Amino acid sequence: MGFDISRVKVAWEGYETPLMPGRYPVEFDPIRRHCHMVDDQNPLFLEQGFCPPVMVDYFASRGAWPPGELDILGLIRKIPTPGDRLVNMNHEFEWFKAVKVGERLSVSHKVVSVDVKPTKLDPLSVWIKTETRIVDERGETVALRWNQILVHRTPEQVQAGFIRAEAAA
Amino acid sequence: MSQRCWEDVREGEALPGFALELTMTRMVQQVSGTQDFYPIHHDRDFARSGGHPDIFVNTAFTRAALCRLLTDWAGPAGFVKRLGFQMRRYHLVGDTIYVRGKVVKKYRQDGVGAVDLEIWAENAREGIATPGTATVHLPLRSA
Repeated sequence: MGFDISRVKVAWEGYETPLMPGRYPVEFDPIRRHCHMVDDQNPLFLEQGFCPPVMVDYFASRGAWPPGELDILGLIRKIPTPGDRLVNMNHEFEWFKAVKVGERLSVSHKVVSVDVKPTKLDPLSVWIKTETRIVDERGETVALRWNQILVHRTPEQVQAGFIRAEAAA
Repeated sequence: MSQRCWEDVREGEALPGFALELTMTRMVQQVSGTQDFYPIHHDRDFARSGGHPDIFVNTAFTRAALCRLLTDWAGPAGFVKRLGFQMRRYHLVGDTIYVRGKVVKKYRQDGVGAVDLEIWAENAREGIATPGTATVHLPLRSA
């Protein structure tokens, strides 16, 4: 039993999720928690209700719990990979407009590429690149985001040659 | 907050950076602030079982720090247009990260004052663990 990346590429590259509304509108409290974690005292965010640019995907998401529903995690979990440990590697945003408290955002994700590229953690490391589009209530694009995540096995799984059943060819 | 104008920017200029100590309390704030409950960022046994040396900060924390660098510098009328970074090495619990940047290029584009920057987060163990680039739009004094 092995892992056939070509089958995964055919099945998943280009797959796109439907546009889904965020669970909650843009709100002050999560913005303030976000700012306080990095000692950000910017009054634009803490007092004037502007959303920090990097939080737009948070508010466009279905929420943090259960864990599979946060952002792209639910999508990533569906793609068959030998392991199930995740590490984010590359991240890029482009913004088109500012967002304020009270707005509602929606999101869709697209699988751009799925590739095997060995790492020190796992010779069968799978790299998944996604593109995320975040829109406001008028359907106008607020931001585009590209993310590349690494999915790998534990050292014990690598040593044992373990491949998850759903990924085994 | 003072407002920086595009005309005030010099290529090669360093951004005033800042430091964040990654205490265990900060790691808890990270989970609270990002709502990222993946245990690799808060469960030391889970992180080590995956081949990592310890828990490390997540993407949303890292980008929050890099974005703060930009929004602090750009002022209230600035607009962060683009931000990209690579998480090449760890920022572990116990590290202190230093978030820094410098202006690479300034130019006018479609009537906007644009500035390209190199930005990064470093720590004493790894040096620059998170290199990145960004583009910020600044107001024009003449506008």
